[in-house]
Amino acid sequence: MSANGYEEFEAVVVGCGPGGAAAAARLADHGVETLVLERGVEAGSKNVSGGLIYGEKSAPYTAEELFPGFREEAAERPVTETYIHNVAGDRVKSYDLTDIHEHDTAWCEAVLRRKMDSWLEKRVHERTSETGGGVLTDVRVNGLLRENGEIVGVTCDELDPIRAELIVAADGVNSELARDAGLMDWEEPEEWFQGVKAVVDVEPGEIEDRFALGEDEGLAHLFSGDLFEGVRGGGFLYTNESSLSIGTVFHLDSLVERRAEPHELLDALLTHPLLAQWLDADYDEREYAAKLVPDSKKVALKEPYADRLVVVGDAAGQMQAQGPIIKGMNHAVTAGALAADAFAVTRGNADPEAAGRRYATMLEESGTMSKLRPRRYELARTVGERDLVTRAVEGVLDSPVGRLALGNRLADRALERAYNSPYLVSMLPDTRTGYVTVPTIVGEQHGRPVTWENEVEPPELIDRIGDLTYDTDVGNPHIELLDESFEASGAAVYACPVSAEGFGGGCYRAETVRTNGGEETLVSLDTQPCVECGTCAVVADTDWEHPRGGKGVEYRQG
Amino acid sequence: MNCGRTRQVIEMDPGEHTVDELAEEIASIDDVETLESILDAERGGDDRKTAKEAIERRIEAVGEDEPTEDGTASADDVDGGEGSEGDANETDDDAGDADETDDDAGDADGGETSDGDTGEADEDDEDDGLSHPTRDKKHVRALQGGDYEDMWVFCETQAGELTDVSKEMLGKARELMDAYAEEYGDEEDVVAVVIGEDCAELAEETIAYGADVAVFHDDPRLSRFVHKPYTEIAAHMARGQGSLESTEWRAYDEPRYALFPATNNGRDLSALVQAELDSGLASDCSDLFIEDVEISNPVKTGEPGVKKVFERVLHMKRPDFSGFEYSTILCLDNPDRDFHPQGASVIPGTFEVPEPDPDREGLVVEHEMELEDWFGVEVLEHDQLDEGVDLTGHEVVVCLGRGIGDDPTLGMELGLELTDAFEDAAFGITRGIVTSSYQFDGHVEAYSKEERQIGETGQEVAPELYIAAGVSGAVQHKVGIDDSGTIVAINTDPDARIRDFSDYFIEGDLFEVLPALTEAVESGELPVEALADGGIDR
Repeated sequence: MSANGYEEFEAVVVGCGPGGAAAAARLADHGVETLVLERGVEAGSKNVSGGLIYGEKSAPYTAEELFPGFREEAAERPVTETYIHNVAGDRVKSYDLTDIHEHDTAWCEAVLRRKMDSWLEKRVHERTSETGGGVLTDVRVNGLLRENGEIVGVTCDELDPIRAELIVAADGVNSELARDAGLMDWEEPEEWFQGVKAVVDVEPGEIEDRFALGEDEGLAHLFSGDLFEGVRGGGFLYTNESSLSIGTVFHLDSLVERRAEPHELLDALLTHPLLAQWLDADYDEREYAAKLVPDSKKVALKEPYADRLVVVGDAAGQMQAQGPIIKGMNHAVTAGALAADAFAVTRGNADPEAAGRRYATMLEESGTMSKLRPRRYELARTVGERDLVTRAVEGVLDSPVGRLALGNRLADRALERAYNSPYLVSMLPDTRTGYVTVPTIVGEQHGRPVTWENEVEPPELIDRIGDLTYDTDVGNPHIELLDESFEASGAAVYACPVSAEGFGGGCYRAETVRTNGGEETLVSLDTQPCVECGTCAVVADTDWEHPRGGKGVEYRQG
Repeated sequence: MNCGRTRQVIEMDPGEHTVDELAEEIASIDDVETLESILDAERGGDDRKTAKEAIERRIEAVGEDEPTEDGTASADDVDGGEGSEGDANETDDDAGDADETDDDAGDADGGETSDGDTGEADEDDEDDGLSHPTRDKKHVRALQGGDYEDMWVFCETQAGELTDVSKEMLGKARELMDAYAEEYGDEEDVVAVVIGEDCAELAEETIAYGADVAVFHDDPRLSRFVHKPYTEIAAHMARGQGSLESTEWRAYDEPRYALFPATNNGRDLSALVQAELDSGLASDCSDLFIEDVEISNPVKTGEPGVKKVFERVLHMKRPDFSGFEYSTILCLDNPDRDFHPQGASVIPGTFEVPEPDPDREGLVVEHEMELEDWFGVEVLEHDQLDEGVDLTGHEVVVCLGRGIGDDPTLGMELGLELTDAFEDAAFGITRGIVTSSYQFDGHVEAYSKEERQIGETGQEVAPELYIAAGVSGAVQHKVGIDDSGTIVAINTDPDARIRDFSDYFIEGDLFEVLPALTEAVESGELPVEALADGGIDR
């Protein structure tokens, strides 16, 4: 306790995901008294990811180095093979992507976040306890504590304000701290992806049979093409110990533009004939989940700090999604550890931003920033993403000449090489061309028909919501709908992963209301089914906060 | 300064004293040479680090004081002052007694305490215009080496009944004292305290819940909790005063343990009574157990580096850090001052309400005491908070869902009409309606609020007949109606989830089916065929 009555720690880390865990563990290694605040009932209960974490050869830190035993105890299966499937109707052309997967990869593991993050939480608690701190769960940090305009700590729903010399915002993609500090916003749908995922139960031992894998082997399958109603994005399937992570990731602006229902796009993948080889009629979905993914190319903070605050992981937009490569957790680990190191070397410096500046420099020097915001992309984007250029390129591709070019044998080999080139992949502009048109043509021209009969019947949204665990904060909704007109907030009705047009049991519902003889469509909100993904914060007019500590959705798989 | 004593201790062997005693002894020695000789004796004897430090500190202090001669600033004067203050109420200790075994641990570092004391003395001299009601508060009733027995449970009553938490505490106290008897071989009692109006019967009732003795104070003025008299009576009882009929059941100074309910009133009473008895309090406890504990804190052991076992200690576990960690609070005697009763307030609902045993026997004792002018606070008015709408306990519940969306107001009217057709029915709605943007006309709007919501986050109902119209049947709704007798659902969608847990499913539009049902209930005839067709044309 300091003289002014605040709790005081040398460092406060907000969020116990991989970024926060790495920061806290390194801080403890440096002997720093570190308090970790986690809003879930346990670390991982609020987390979702597609499911691959990488250990990069070029990275200064990996999860395994920071937390020995991580791969063995916290992860599911290593990824030993990677494929991409270009789909056009029932024709599919597959390429082996193992080369690019292995580029700079020391290891790669499929993970489920509840298991992984709760394991990390225990390690972090052990280590931070030794230097006078520890992990507290069920605490939601709701903002920054300022004195004379300067950030000096955090405020919480459950505890008195806490002062600290270093504040690490590792509070995820919807970081309330990064927004409080003015570093992030929720304005532009094109800066975000939205992912939805089903964790599918598989009998122990079945994975090996179905995928022809050994006990310590695993697979990553990626899907692109015309599976998804022209929405830009793709799908994935990863093997866990005794389950599968199957999901889809789309550009949020494209979802909005196409008025697509995320859960239906996931169902389109689940029920495609291609997946019949791995799924049968006994389809048993353990959990439906969703999250926003920042597009680091556009939003990764170049200066992820303000006063004593440093921002790491998704909170700082550090999520690398380029073509088939999706890397986030590894960068969060690196960033968290570097932020801790930066604090250790600048400790005692009178300038409150010394640690933050040092952290930014270390991110740059370690090469992490150039992975997150490749300069090649910034150059390519200026021409590549203009609608006109897209249309022109699409026109050529759709012409007999273009189809011939993509369809010949040489092109086939060139394409496989191109997919496997990190250089080319990082240049792929985010247009329909890369995500939909090319894969579709590839599927049409090179693909073989897949005629398996898919017997999967995915659960309906009402059951997916019903199967989730919630601790609803009755009478205290965490999202407020500021504008209930359909123009302002109607996009949430379809873009929200737990809402749908014509479905009354979701968060957002469109309702036709008769008033004074006239009729208008209004949007209403019930936050009970909310999975806290943040989609509506971007596409609707809301006042968006996380629920209080321990409240809201609780993921069992994640 | 007592020079005689100074000479006395020259002869002393520091090895015969604990460090604390030694510190006290040498505090009255002003002669550096004498002190040096004691230091030498210590070096040649036990050579205790703490002892040497104490002597060295004293030498330093004397050295500093020497030039001033007046002695007012010296630590020994102030120490002496504190000593006499403490002496006033203690029976057998004189700071000068060399064989004293349990000195005030605080004296070990006389420097610090002296600053504080001097400061206070200064303030006393200044008139700051405030009354300082606690200035003279001393531990006037603090005991030392007292006798303590039994576990006292301060029961709370409400509307003439024992509250659940009182029963929970009695059950827990019974369990603790039974285990205590087994562990320590001493049969000690659970003593229930009941204060109120017409509370003799309640005192009797505490016996059934596990008390061996019930002490009650009955007075019409005590029908509500009032701080001052309740505190005075409770403390009076605890000190063993005022029980005229029989005092045989207790032969001790104060209770060994005391439990209070951590309710609004109980929290107030617990703090006041424990302060009145000059003990401590662990508030809002969520677990209790009795165990021996080994302690090395010198404040408690009287000597650094020594461990001491405290027996029969009540371990009081409580949520800490706003409920994110748990602390175990111990209330331990100091060497020169007892802290009894070891007191806790208990969070309601923490322990089970025990099954009452009407055959249990126990002693009921009426407490007598003159109640003084303690009723300055009077309750002039009271009001029971409106608890909203209770949908439970009805034969029939009619519930509407978002199926009313085409005409919300008409839907509500039809639902209310059906509700009225039954003799004993309640009207509920789903969360989907509560959170909707439907515009209801004034006369039905009051029925669209959260207080009528059925489901996981609303009320759970279990009527004999549950009628759900236009309800899809989400899991969150299902858990609120699962225990209903017969469930009848009306829905246009034959695949609606609610069909899976309905006894009767009417596929049809509620705007047609509800009026038909209302008519049927009123006439006593159910036109099943018409319903099966999806309603009756009116």
